[in-house]
Amino acid sequence: MPKMTFIKTDGTRVDVDAPIGLSVLEIAHRNNIDLEGACEGSLACSTCHVIVDPEWYETLPTAKEDEEDMLDLAFGLTHTSRLGCQIIITEELDGLTVSLPAGTRNMMAD
Amino acid sequence: MTTGRNQPRLPIYLDYQSTTPVDPRVMAVMLPYFTEKFGNPHSTSHAHGREVAEAVERARAQVARLIGADEREIVFTSGATESNNLAIKGAMRFAGQRRKRVVTLVTEHKCVLESVKRLGEEGFETELLPVTPSGLVDLDRLAAALTEETGLLSVMAANNEIGVVQPLAEIGALCRARGVLFHTDAAQAAGKVPIDVEAMQIDLLSISGHKLYGPKGIGALYVRRRPRVRLDPLFDGGAQERGIRSGTLPAPLCIGLGEACAIAAAEMADEAKRLRVMRDRLLKGLMAEVPDVVVNGDLEQRLPGNINVGFPHVSGQALLAEVPELSLSLGSACTSAAIEPSYVLRALGLPDELANGSIRIGLGRFTSVTEIDFAVDRLGAAVRRLRAAAPQRTGAPAA
Repeated sequence: MPKMTFIKTDGTRVDVDAPIGLSVLEIAHRNNIDLEGACEGSLACSTCHVIVDPEWYETLPTAKEDEEDMLDLAFGLTHTSRLGCQIIITEELDGLTVSLPAGTRNMMAD
Repeated sequence: MTTGRNQPRLPIYLDYQSTTPVDPRVMAVMLPYFTEKFGNPHSTSHAHGREVAEAVERARAQVARLIGADEREIVFTSGATESNNLAIKGAMRFAGQRRKRVVTLVTEHKCVLESVKRLGEEGFETELLPVTPSGLVDLDRLAAALTEETGLLSVMAANNEIGVVQPLAEIGALCRARGVLFHTDAAQAAGKVPIDVEAMQIDLLSISGHKLYGPKGIGALYVRRRPRVRLDPLFDGGAQERGIRSGTLPAPLCIGLGEACAIAAAEMADEAKRLRVMRDRLLKGLMAEVPDVVVNGDLEQRLPGNINVGFPHVSGQALLAEVPELSLSLGSACTSAAIEPSYVLRALGLPDELANGSIRIGLGRFTSVTEIDFAVDRLGAAVRRLRAAAPQRTGAPAA
């Protein structure tokens, strides 16, 4: 089974199983990683914003416009920012590494 | 604006690059949104907010249509100064160290030059390119300045002092081929000359409301969505305007800007034709009155309503004082209170003496032929008077 790594805001690395077909958001939730996902993957928020390791960023399929729209609203956006709910694990993503951003913006809670 | 036969109402306004009056049609559309339709456009939980939100979105689409954009690419701001700051600082700060060079022209508006200067203080590399004596960019020189390190190029669409219109499509093609973001300050050009962000491959474009017969205190920034252009916002707040520009929108002003853009889009071609005829008449008249008058900047690639002329051996300041019935300016409104000659005119290679003797004449939607003829007559007489009073004058302003 592929593996992936989350880097938490304090810098600790968490290596977890990454079953093919699951999203990074789902994998985070299975492993009690603190990634919010307020809209449960329906592309209505940016709370599952993750920063993809630059070495992995180009391997990911390009973000769709809806995802880009949501990323516009993400806090601490970077050049390799993506939404965790939109990254679906494939064989090629075995070893994927993402960092959790320092904060999120939940429009519903603001 | 005339009061009777060939007698214009005084003073005559000939400073349309400084600001324009609100078109009465724009005013009519705005008015209800100050009083009965006062809702907060971001309060979409109730009818008061929603009706205003819908009107603001219609205005956004009107702004977009003027420049061939999608309405989702328009961010409302307080004016072109804010749009320019947001575009230049926002794009470079987001790019960070990936592409740390920002390039612009020496003839840009102060708010562009100062934004670039600020970025220089923050550690970015900056380059200010010269222009040709006609005021146009040297494309070869520009191409050489766009390196792999360059994050953004900012070149104004039309200059605020000399009205010169830059070759936007050529510049856009150069930028796109090199992966450089292309920002253009179109405060003077939008609504005056055709602009298409797709054809010209523009990534960021600034608009000002009060330069195109809309209200003061409102502007817009076009931010390309495909490929997506991202900006570090200047303001922290409630993440309005796609998070790019927090703050409650001034709905009546947004709606006025939209209407002004719609009118400009519909009438631009006819208005440009009319203004060119009047400008030619003005120039012909001035040449007859003062044969050694000099036109500053390219005459062809130019805003239809702008002329900038130099009168050798005459101080521009003294000239303006001689014609109190004409509202003219020396250079830009920002610097007309300063004594030093215009940096734009000096960038063209004009000697200080001629730069000091130059004035900007701005024609617009409400300028009449009667006013033009009157202005020619008064300016000609004033130049002759000044020259007669100081025949050996070399143009250096008296201490």
